[in-house]
Amino acid sequence: MHIMEGFLPLNWAVFWWAIALPCLVYGIYRLKKVLDADREALPLLGVTGGFIFILSSLKLPSVTGSCSHPTGTGLSAICFGPWITSVVCAIVLLFQALFLAHGGLSVLGANVVSMGIVGPIAGYAVYRGLRETRVNMFLTVFLACMLADMFTYITTSLELALAYPAQVGGVGSSFVLFLGIFAITQVPLAIVEGIVLALVFKYIVQLKPDILLRMKVFPEEKINAARGE
Amino acid sequence: MAKNHRLEILALVAVIIFCILFIYTSSISGNAQFSGSDTAGSEKIAELAGVPPDEIHPLIPQWVPPSAEIESGLFALQAAIGGIMVGLVFGYWIGQKKGTKST
Repeated sequence: MHIMEGFLPLNWAVFWWAIALPCLVYGIYRLKKVLDADREALPLLGVTGGFIFILSSLKLPSVTGSCSHPTGTGLSAICFGPWITSVVCAIVLLFQALFLAHGGLSVLGANVVSMGIVGPIAGYAVYRGLRETRVNMFLTVFLACMLADMFTYITTSLELALAYPAQVGGVGSSFVLFLGIFAITQVPLAIVEGIVLALVFKYIVQLKPDILLRMKVFPEEKINAARGE
Repeated sequence: MAKNHRLEILALVAVIIFCILFIYTSSISGNAQFSGSDTAGSEKIAELAGVPPDEIHPLIPQWVPPSAEIESGLFALQAAIGGIMVGLVFGYWIGQKKGTKST
């Protein structure tokens, strides 16, 4: 999902930075508040952030004959919300921009918006919509993680389409072109990522249910039911 | 037993299907290069912008890993950092759980 350095014109690079920066500042503020309220939230942040590090470094082949990587942001979005997730993503993306030439400093804003903000917001919205319903807890986690991944790539396509409208058909038709490259490759990866992160969530529920209860990640009945299973 | 491990079985099946799909598609499409979708996207940008990809220069100068070996090493480093964090916390939680049981 990385937009490569130099591949966004200056005005668009600045535009996405202007959206990303306030979100990051708010995310740092939220992070401090959450950690001050409960020190036991730090290990949970370590696990969810750790999976963003791992999954976003894995470049996996897909059915379209090209490679892409999962994002791993869904779990963090569920436990901490999209704003704190954007801070973790910014750290990963900065590492990749500085040492791997994946993404870059001028396009960091755009990449943070797609991977750290829009993707997690999509996942978080699904999770919030399903949290109090009778939908199975792990199915909720699966859907949230899968959609966080998909929406990251859809956003990347949109960012590129806005900067590079096609001569015939404009933004709409180049959006479809970029979706064909990014989003279709991503579908099988997003499904596998969703299942794997749902499994990770199961282990968190088994090992440390009290932190999930204190942070009100899921209602008590759902967590207890999953533990008793 | 089977009921307790439904998710594990599901994850395993998904990964196996994913691998089979990969082997199948790479065998029928002999010319697939499995380069990054980022690269494919960049080529499409160059096409839409009407300039060759080599002529798109970074806005901010950037260090590029000198070879694919070094790049893959740094990617492994990134995964290792994540792996250490995950392993540390799960170990910490397992230890905490044992500690509360024994006292």
